[in-house]
Amino acid sequence: MTTAPTTTAGPAPRTRPELHQSNVAQTWAMSKRSILALWRQPALVVPSMIFPLFFAALGTASFSRATAIPGFPEVDSYLDFALAGAIVQGILFGSTVGATALATDIENGFFDRLLSSPSTRSGIIVGRMAGGMAYGFLQTVVFIAVLLPFGLTIKGGVPGVITMAIGGTVLALAVGALMSAMAIRTGSSEAVQGAFPLLFIALFFSSAFFPRETMSGIYARLADINPISYLVEGFRDLTIEGFTWSAAFRAVVIPAILAVLTVTLSLRTLKRRLGAR
Amino acid sequence: MPTTSTNSLPIEAIGLQRTFGTGDEQVKAVDGVDLQIQQGEIFGFLGPNGAGKSTTVRMLTTLLRPTGGIGRVAGFDVVEQANDVRRNIGVALQDAAIDPLMTGSELLHLQAVLYGLPKSTHATKAGELLERVGLTAAGNRRVGTYSGGMRRRLDLALSLIHEPTVLFLDEPTTGLDPMSRISLWEEIRRLNNDGTTVMLTTQYLEEADQLTERIAIIDHGVIVRKGRPSELKAEVGSPTLFVSVDAAATEPATTLLAGFGELRPSPEGTLGVGLTDGPSAVSNVIRTLDDAGITVRNLELHEPSLDDVFAEATGYRLEGADA
Amino acid sequence: MTIVDETTGLPERSVANTRTFPASVGLMKRSMVNIVRLPSAFVPSLVMPIFQTIAFAGTFFAITQIPGFPTDRSINWFLPLGVIMGSGFAGIGIGFATIRDLEGGFYDRLRLTPAPRASLIVGPLLSALVRSFIVTTVVFAVGSLFGARLTHGPSGLIPLYLAGLGIASIGTGWGLGLAYRFRDMRAAAIMQLTFFLLIFLTEAQTPLSVMEGWLEHVARINPFNQVIGLARLGFLDQPMTWNETWTGLLALVVIVALTMVFARRGLDKLSDE
Repeated sequence: MTTAPTTTAGPAPRTRPELHQSNVAQTWAMSKRSILALWRQPALVVPSMIFPLFFAALGTASFSRATAIPGFPEVDSYLDFALAGAIVQGILFGSTVGATALATDIENGFFDRLLSSPSTRSGIIVGRMAGGMAYGFLQTVVFIAVLLPFGLTIKGGVPGVITMAIGGTVLALAVGALMSAMAIRTGSSEAVQGAFPLLFIALFFSSAFFPRETMSGIYARLADINPISYLVEGFRDLTIEGFTWSAAFRAVVIPAILAVLTVTLSLRTLKRRLGAR
Repeated sequence: MPTTSTNSLPIEAIGLQRTFGTGDEQVKAVDGVDLQIQQGEIFGFLGPNGAGKSTTVRMLTTLLRPTGGIGRVAGFDVVEQANDVRRNIGVALQDAAIDPLMTGSELLHLQAVLYGLPKSTHATKAGELLERVGLTAAGNRRVGTYSGGMRRRLDLALSLIHEPTVLFLDEPTTGLDPMSRISLWEEIRRLNNDGTTVMLTTQYLEEADQLTERIAIIDHGVIVRKGRPSELKAEVGSPTLFVSVDAAATEPATTLLAGFGELRPSPEGTLGVGLTDGPSAVSNVIRTLDDAGITVRNLELHEPSLDDVFAEATGYRLEGADA
Repeated sequence: MTIVDETTGLPERSVANTRTFPASVGLMKRSMVNIVRLPSAFVPSLVMPIFQTIAFAGTFFAITQIPGFPTDRSINWFLPLGVIMGSGFAGIGIGFATIRDLEGGFYDRLRLTPAPRASLIVGPLLSALVRSFIVTTVVFAVGSLFGARLTHGPSGLIPLYLAGLGIASIGTGWGLGLAYRFRDMRAAAIMQLTFFLLIFLTEAQTPLSVMEGWLEHVARINPFNQVIGLARLGFLDQPMTWNETWTGLLALVVIVALTMVFARRGLDKLSDE
């Protein structure tokens, strides 16, 4: 609504500010909020930074001789092999933080207030996930930077690092959207945290920590059909073999396909939630 | 059982002290409290929130170690003979903290075990107590399904399992509906008639007036009044006049009222004055205010109540107190 | 109803001294109630060690091919680790429950009773031991289905159960001690993190002979390494001798004693706050 000078008698109408419909500005405001939320609660994000690094360090010290086992790819050290798993592990863990915050917003009614404001639905969802995406990018870069002095070599060089950073960002969107769908559906932060072990299981039944070639039986078959295996191996080939389009494709396109699926799912869940009322 | 000194008091505090923190941040929560509670008495312990009420009770019930002074309950020292104290006291806690996963009957059994009652008596004892507090039907339900009043009654039953001689009740009726409150009062009187000494902390002055024989008021960690409610009311002496005037006239009216006696704490939007000359001064007050052009919107005269005693002693009027 | 005692002027009471054992058993039963009535807390504590055992054994299936590895079955290597983690968290779960009791105020009610202070620790400890026994049994049963074998016959179960019970006691002492000191959920984070670190900075994943660098030095002095070694005794190809056993038992006894003292001191400190 715009204000216009009035000529009729009676009390003058209040002047109201002009309300612009700007999706970009709204999405940006939501993004800023979710990024700030992560920044201000270090206790929530620190574990997803520290634990993957701890396990990479532990694995490097424990499994250095395992790299000679038949079926293990040729690597200088287990650390080079472990980087991909650490990045994916960190992003899976970190992505639950944003979704838990969303569920808390729903629990305390803030989410309803957002919905009742004239913001676009997708702006709310994308904005919510922007913090997670920024964090996924940060995790990828930090893990590489921290491990480089400890002997990490990335055969893929700068293009490899850039590809991994993009892949990490998109993966954070994919997992964040999945967990957000869960948050919107249940409206319970406890349920979101309760779903966390499922991610843990998905990660373990993949080649995140050890090569598929060394596994056997049902376990190997589960890892063969787990998309996380291929995603991790994309990151890993960029690290231990060098930059190839095949590796870059797996590192970016697999999370991108997952992201399309999970963002669609979360938007549909939101629509159903709104329709239900 | 260790013997105790002859004619010892059920509850006695001598210079009881408790400080929290150290150095500059040290807070004296209780600063030298003396209490002598007689055998068979219902004693009321009043005070604003944070005045040191709960801290005093926690020390007397062995939950908190005093930092100074002596506390004796049932003739035993609360520090040196803590377990003897525990055997003789029953405590009903303010927030009725009860494990929601257990049933009322299971909790009574656990309590009987922890008090070392002979196993053969557990079932009858639990049954008796459930009946006494009217929870027989709910005895096998989980406490999580109980209403607030039911939890409070179960809490009382738990504190009675070992037939304590001294009972501490920490705000036992806070949050209860009037019916439950009155039935709890009856239960407290009944226990008292059976010879149990009761120390009752409460926010409700009416409750203290109804139940207790003597009260003490604590403020800023110090006992500021002690005695029979009737005596304390008499000490306040003059009745209190509450006057409401227009907001603009508050200041001049306050000055004028001060001429009739000391100003007293009053409910929001009113002014209170203790009339030195008694009720007969009311007409003078109206005339004086009228002469000054101040319109009196409302006027109430109160004979001294426990509320006045409390207000005079602490500078507070308790919320929900009948002014 | 009451008779007045002539010497004290107080009504005569005849409550006997509460003894530690019955009071402990009463508190244990109370603590066990959670297993049936709060399955959302108990079931994960059973499922997680099973999952961990299978996931580690499957992921690191090939590590037994490293020359000098003390077993040729990865499940034999990781099953005892699963038991240790599960039992430890059975103990730490007691710490969690106690934080809830302290925050809710139920703990005041327990402290008001004349039950011996030791029973406030021993009762929950007994319940942690029962939980550890259940976890060990279930993990062993499931692990056997996935191919775990006792290389020295059924007697190999003794060190496994002993290590589980010991770790459960350590978890209880550590959990209770921290719960008493912090009285809120900060304690829960500290107990989990420290326990996790201490367990993994050992031969948890590979034996000392296979490790490289810093971890080997840390694991060598970490007493929990002895405990994990004890748990694994019956599952390895090397002989099960007293020489291998006593260090693990000694480590357990010492750490259990220290954590129990830590818990007991913490309980006494509750009266100071």
